[in-house]
Formats: sequence, C-alpha cells, structure tokens
Amino acid sequence: MSTSGDYKQQHLIKMANQIATSIPTREDIPGQISSHMRQFWTSEMLQTLRQIAAETPDILSEDVHSALQTL
Amino acid sequence: MNMVQQFDPAQVDYSQDLGTPGAESDLKVTVYIDGMPVSVPEGTSVMRAAAMVGANIPKLCATDNLNAFGSCRLCLVEIEGRPGTPASCTTPCAEGMSVHTQTPRLDRLRKGVMELYISDHPLDCLTCPANGDCELQDMAGAVGLRDVRYGMEGENHLDRGKDESNPYFTFDSSKCIVCSRCVRACSEVQGTFALTIAGRGFGSEVSPSEQQPFLDSECVSCGACVQACPTATLQEKSVIDLGVPSRKVKTTCAYCGVGCSFTAELRGDEVVRMVPDKQGGANEGHSCVKGRFAWGYAQHQDRVTTPLVRDSIEDEWRPVDWDEAIRFAADKLNTIKSQHGVDAVGGITSSRCTNEEVYVVQKMVRAAFGTNNIDTCARVCHSPTGYGLKQTFGTSAGTQDFASVERSDAIMVIGANPTDAHPVFGSRMKRRLREGADLIVIDPRSIDLVRSPHIQAEHHLQLMPGTNVAVLNAISHVVATEGLMDDNFVYERCNKTSFKAWLDFISLPENSPEALAEITGVDAESLRAAARAYATAGNGAIYYGLGVTEHSQGSTMVMAMANLAMATGNIGRLGVGVNPLRGQNNVQGSCDMGSFPHEFVGYRHVSDETVREQFSAMWGVTLREDPGMRIPNMLDSAVAGEFRGIYIQGEDIAQSDPNTNHVAEALRAMECVIVQDLFLNETSHFAHVFLPGTSFLEKDGTFTNAERRINRVRPVMTSRTGLSEWEATCALSEAMGYPMPYESASEIMDEIAELTPTFAGVSFDLLDKLGSVQWPCNEQAPEGTPIMHKDAFVRGEGQFMTTPYVPTDERSTRKFPLLLTTGRILSQYNVGAQTRRTDNVVWHAEDVLDIHEADAEARGVKDGDWIEIASRAGQTRMRARISDDIPAGVVYTTFHHPVSGTNVITTDNSDWATNCPEYKVTAVEIRPSLEQRA
Repeated sequence: MSTSGDYKQQHLIKMANQIATSIPTREDIPGQISSHMRQFWTSEMLQTLRQIAAETPDILSEDVHSALQTL
Repeated sequence: MNMVQQFDPAQVDYSQDLGTPGAESDLKVTVYIDGMPVSVPEGTSVMRAAAMVGANIPKLCATDNLNAFGSCRLCLVEIEGRPGTPASCTTPCAEGMSVHTQTPRLDRLRKGVMELYISDHPLDCLTCPANGDCELQDMAGAVGLRDVRYGMEGENHLDRGKDESNPYFTFDSSKCIVCSRCVRACSEVQGTFALTIAGRGFGSEVSPSEQQPFLDSECVSCGACVQACPTATLQEKSVIDLGVPSRKVKTTCAYCGVGCSFTAELRGDEVVRMVPDKQGGANEGHSCVKGRFAWGYAQHQDRVTTPLVRDSIEDEWRPVDWDEAIRFAADKLNTIKSQHGVDAVGGITSSRCTNEEVYVVQKMVRAAFGTNNIDTCARVCHSPTGYGLKQTFGTSAGTQDFASVERSDAIMVIGANPTDAHPVFGSRMKRRLREGADLIVIDPRSIDLVRSPHIQAEHHLQLMPGTNVAVLNAISHVVATEGLMDDNFVYERCNKTSFKAWLDFISLPENSPEALAEITGVDAESLRAAARAYATAGNGAIYYGLGVTEHSQGSTMVMAMANLAMATGNIGRLGVGVNPLRGQNNVQGSCDMGSFPHEFVGYRHVSDETVREQFSAMWGVTLREDPGMRIPNMLDSAVAGEFRGIYIQGEDIAQSDPNTNHVAEALRAMECVIVQDLFLNETSHFAHVFLPGTSFLEKDGTFTNAERRINRVRPVMTSRTGLSEWEATCALSEAMGYPMPYESASEIMDEIAELTPTFAGVSFDLLDKLGSVQWPCNEQAPEGTPIMHKDAFVRGEGQFMTTPYVPTDERSTRKFPLLLTTGRILSQYNVGAQTRRTDNVVWHAEDVLDIHEADAEARGVKDGDWIEIASRAGQTRMRARISDDIPAGVVYTTFHHPVSGTNVITTDNSDWATNCPEYKVTAVEIRPSLEQRA
C-alpha cells in the first residue's frame, strides 16, 4: 500500500470510527452508521472501507463492522 | 411645496428622508398638515407626518434613522391652539392637531437660524466636494437665504484643521455645524460611541474619542457618521477625488452573510461611493467598513482579466482568449474522463458567487462531467448547520429574520463575534442589548460584546475550546431538571418519543454543570445562571457562528442548540430562534443551490428517484443516484492518484482549507486544476487553467443571506473580463458536450424556481418589485417567509436528538500544551483576497498570535516578538500580541494573510457528520523565533 493510499485509507478509517462514536442518538448504532454512509459516502469509499474491514478488521470498531454487514 | 391633494399611504416615498423614525403603534391619530388630513401611528412626529404628505419641513439635525434631537431650530412649525413655534421633529402628532409648516413668521425665524449657521461656514460652495449634494446648501436655498447680515469677520471656526487620517473619509471641522448627527449615528446606529461633542457653547466640536485623529480613535469606519453628515464635514475621499456621482444602481454587498443592500453611485463606469440602502431588508441603511469602503479591489491592478493556461504548473502562464482557454480546459477534463472515468473529476462552488453562477457550476459537474463530485466552500464553514438543523427542524437554514432580534429578551451568542464578522447585524443586536436584553456569551475569548460601551454581558461562559457540546448539554440539563421547559410547546410541536429519549439523557447526572465543570472550565453556578436567564427571559434567541460548526462535534452542537430552543419553546415567533451567522455573502445560497455532493437544489437527496427524474427531465441527461465526494475526499483521492481534475470557482483552498501541506500535495498531484477567480491566488500556483472571474460590481444575479433573504446583485459596471462567470461555465460545459444555452441570469433563476419548491415564487421580476424575499417563497408564501416553523416544523414534529459529548482527538499534550483557535477581524475578510487589496490593511497589515500574559512569560515571549508556532500538522511564524481577551492555555489568530500560513498548522480533524474542519481546536506550542529576533 502506498503512502498516499495510506493517507486516504487512514482518513476513511478515522471517519468511520468517528461516526460510530459520535452518532448522536445511541440506539441501533450500526443502523445509523449504515444510513449515514448511504447518504453521504460514495460507492468507492464504501468499497474501500469493506476492503479495509476484510484486511485489517481490528482497525475498525465493532459498530462499523456491523454497519458494513447491512450496506 | 409639492403637496398632494389627498393623502394616500401607499403613495408615501419611504426612500426619501422623512426626518424622524417611524412610530410603532396600532393606534392612529389624525392631524392636519397645512389643512391636509393625515393619519399616522401614535408617536409619529409632526415632521414625519408632514413629509409623508409631501410637506418637507426644512431641517438640519434630523434624519429618519436617528431619534429626534431638536437642536438646529430650523424645523419650527406653528400649531393651532399652542403657543410658540415648536420643533416639528420632537413634537408628536396628537389627534386633531392642526399644523402650519409655512407662515411668514416661520419664514423669518428659519431664515434667521440659517443666517447664523452660514455666518460661521466657509463660503466655498463652488469648490466644495459636496456641492450639489449638501443639505446645508439645500436648506439655505429652501429658506431663501440671500445674504448674511453679520458678515464673516466675527469669531468663527473657519480656521479649524482637517483630519485626513482615515483612509476613506476626511473630517473638516471648519465646515461643521455641530448638529450632532454624526455623534448620534455613531451611538444609535453603530453603537460604538466613538464620537462625542467636546467643549461647551461656542467651543463645542465633534471629537473622535478624546480629541484624537479618527484613525487613532475607537472609530470602526462604518461610515454611519459620513452618511449622517448634512455638510461636507465628513466626506468620502473618493467623492473629493472623483466628484459628485451622476448615476445610481442598487445592488448587494459581497462580503459577509449579512448581505447589505447598497446603492452604488457612479460617474460613468467608475464607482464613486457605495451608500447603504435605507430600504435594504438586511441592513436598513447601515454598513460596515468593508461594504461601505473596501470595494476598490474590484479595480485593483492585480485583477487578472484575460484567461491563462499552461501545460504544467512548472511553466509560465500563457494568456489566451476565452475560446482557447475553454477548449484547453474541456480537452483536459474530457481526456481525464475518458482515461480514468467520470469520478476522476469534480468541482467546488463558491459562496462568493451568485446563486445563478453556483447553480450552473453544480449543473455542469452533474450533467457535463457526469459525476456528483461537487462540493462547496461551505463545507469548511457551515455544513454542520445544514446537517443539524435539517435533522431537528427539517430544513437547512436559520429560523429568523435579522429584525427578530429587536424582540429578543435574552440573546445567547455562541462561537460568534458579530461586531467583527457580521458588523451590521452586530450593531442591530447591540441596540437591543442597550435596551435591556440579557446577553449570554459562550466563547473562549472575550469578544467585544462581552464588554463594550453601554453593554456588559450578564453571563460570559469562557469555556475551553472543544467543549461546546458539554456546555450546551449542561445548560439543557439545568433547563430540564429545574422545571424550565415549555411543556406545552414540546407537547404540541415536537416528537414525543425523541423528546423522552432526550429528556432521559439530558437529565443524567453526568450532564450536570457540576459534573462537566472540570472539562469545560466553566463554573457550575455561572452556567446555571446563564441557563436560567435564557429559559426564563420570555424570548430567548441563539445566534452562533463558526465557533460552533468548526469542531469535531459541530453537527452535534447544532442539534444541541436546536434541542434547547425546542425544550424552552423558543421557536416559531419573533425574538427567538436558532440563527447561524453565515460567514460569506452567499453561504446560504451556495448550499441552497445544490452544491453538496449528496443533494440537488433545495436539499433533496440524489437518491430520491422522483426528484432525480425531475432534474433528469429538465436537464435532459441521466443523473447519478449515488453521492459524490466531499472536498477532503477529493483531496485524499488526488493524493492517491485517483482524482485528477477539478474546477474551483472563487475559492482559495490552498489558503483557506486546513492542513495546507496536504492540500498542496493533492493539487500538485492533479492533471487539470481550473481556477476561476479575480486574482492569481494561492491555489492558482497549482492550476493549469485560470479563468478570470467577475467582481460583485460586474455580476448580475442574486445572493441569499443568513436570514434566507434573496437579494438582487445588479451589474454596476461592465464586465472587465468580457464574459460573466455563468457564461464562462456554460461555455466550458458546451465544449465538454453538454450545452447550457441560457440567455440571462434571470433565465437561470427561472429554472431554479421551476425545480425547487421553496423557490417556486422567486423571479427577478418579484425581487425587483419587493426589493428582496426570504425563502420559502411559493404559492403558500408569495412574499416570502421571515420566520420559519411558526405553526409546525418543516419536518412536521420537531425532532430531539440526544447529544453525548465526545471529546475531540485533538488534545493538548506536553509537546503541544496550548490550544489554538482561529477567527476573523472587522477590517479583513476571510483569506483577505479582497480586503488585502484595499486600504483596510491600515488596520490589519499582518496576522498576529494573541497569547495570554502568563503563557507568554513562561516562554520568554514579549509583545511584538516573532514566534514560531508548531502543531502536529506543521509550523509557521508570526508576531505575538499579549492579550487578556483569551484565557491562559489558549492562543488565537486570524488567517487573512497567506504569508502567515495559519492553516499550515491546523489539522485535518473534522466534524463527524460533515467533515467540516476543526479549525477551532489545534494543539500547538510556541517559542520565540531566534532567527527573527536576531
């Protein structure tokens, strides 16, 4: 993975985990994360996040993993 | 006298000076002015009633944006049954009153008064810059003064000097008649109280501060005094240089989100001055130093008026004609699309451009580029406002008009500095505060409002940067647990399930002021007092700025404020609301116009099939249903080699966006960067195509201000570039294979109206008729909507959101122990592209770092020292200024000058929901710059 690719991926990881911790109403967090990502993330960003989840699962929160199952 | 025969209220010309302000009363009284009956609200002055029927009584010290003063004694009238000759400006109308405005006795008295004035006034009318535009001259004519019996040799003030220190106007005391209009304008309209009358009797004179030159005084150069002066005592230097204007065009200022209306006064194609429009809905005749005076950048020598191209950013620019530039740009973008796909290109719209210009750019990106990779500079300022207010209220906009503040009883200002960043609204707010409204300031800094003439914030919660949500939660906790909620409002207007969840959450002990005091730095009892003040005042209003949005929890904070307003019933009427103070002139408009990658015009999601089909049908193209990339994602993808071409409209992301080094790396990686702007800015260093932009003085279109007010922007002078910006965009779109054959800006607005329910009634014709209109403007509200959510929220029921406080990742550490927060000042605007090219630099020639005395002393830094500032993102240098406006542990600076590199040190932390950068919290360390001090 290139340094520049790292930067983009690191940013996506941070965004995803930050959504998980910051989503306001703390019910059905995975559902809210997936809804948020559907509204605001590009297909390519979601695809990259899925790849990250598969390759380095520990780097994403449980809620993000659960959300990805529904996307 | 040009008397009308029958008084018709509809025929009153409110653009003329009616002498005194209007009265607000439901009761009417009828008076007879020279026999003409006129019914006016109780409290109306005789002078105003007379002016309304065309009987203009001579006056000097009176003008209708200032309270009557009664000093010049020129406006005397006779009233049947009353002794003497009272001043009409200070005499209120009474039922049945019969007034005579012209009698031989009044003629004698007025002529005598004028004779005294003129006996102490230079007789240089022919060479005076105000010749032909001077009320004193007009009044001398009106009363028929032909000679001065006293001669001019007696004691006088004719040898008084001229103060030319202010870059924009002169103060010639020899011409002053001491009418106090300037002093009163500074006090009543601007609220700065920089001017006074020094001395007594014959020695009385207007004095800036304590007889200082204007430039050294407290004067903020708003121009209210110049506007009020009835002689050439206070005179624009541009009028002195160029002469009295000969034609006028009404238009809208292009600086902040207040969106002031102005009359551009010209000689031929040259602007002589900008005069605030009394009938402007946003500003009602007031202005600030930027809008009133700092428009010279439009004709600055740095303007680039010819398109430029180059194959590589290492090459020199090559001037070309429009056709070649458009072809060059289109070829590059089409090549990228064919080689790397449509998602390798995108665009950014500008909040400095008109609605029509923004609309065609986002349309070009969606229809011609074939992608939803369109974003706007609002991404880095108020995107959390759009998100937060849409979630809670149902629409991405502030709830009130500006005039609403005049009915507020408690005003909560959070993360905003209205006197500097939105000065004309700041003056309006200060007027209400002087009338007695309570002020709650929530800000790490002691902004001017905290303590200024005749204003003292009852509550200043000086929180640590990054703890907004904790403070708002604590305030709501007090409201919820002390029984301060408006139960009826919540019951009738809000979603009960969401309310219960919020109530359970906010009532938790962990949200109490006591529990959060250590985190926020705000004393619990002070916070409780502020909460009670807001909730129990009657009309509680919240005004906020980028100190709310530019945080990792910016969107959460917007929702927290909406929760508080709903819980206390402070929504849906005058005097209340949740009000974003938008940074740039058209932030609201650029967001409205479909600039976000997930929304079409009017905030409708691209995945909504019905909406998308409507746009597809109108635009004749298949549109994408998936959201595009935001600015930071485009930049990340560019660094990764995936995003290769961008069209940047009126935006300098290399200076304004955070983590400059990353932005530069991304721009450098792209194959085609197209910049459309007035000047070669920092971003243009990385550009391959430069398309010259037009200043607001050349534009034809509309801006939408922070109160959703759509104002006309009219071309004051001919375009210096040969094409308007929307024409250039359309040309590029056509060259890429998608024609957008508009004939006029008006036609673009017609299309916007056809596609957008909230704009359905908007047209240039309507705006020309009404002056301005606040959206929603449609069949239900044909003349617009000043106050939103009156009977129901746009989303139906108001939605409470629980708002847990999540600390930012940006923490102070031993290595970076100080927290940097950024902002702007009065004289400069944003990245300074415009204001740095005006005489405003006299007030702010460089960015400086404000630091508390204790922090400075601990580091051996003295006032004025050059220092190095380092963060995790980068390092820069500037001078230090010791300031007690900030608490220990916090430092503050502006980002108006590129040389300062302020955004080299800001990080790419951002709001969780919108990626709005966290400009307001950066952990830094500073140290004296040995290089500079040597």
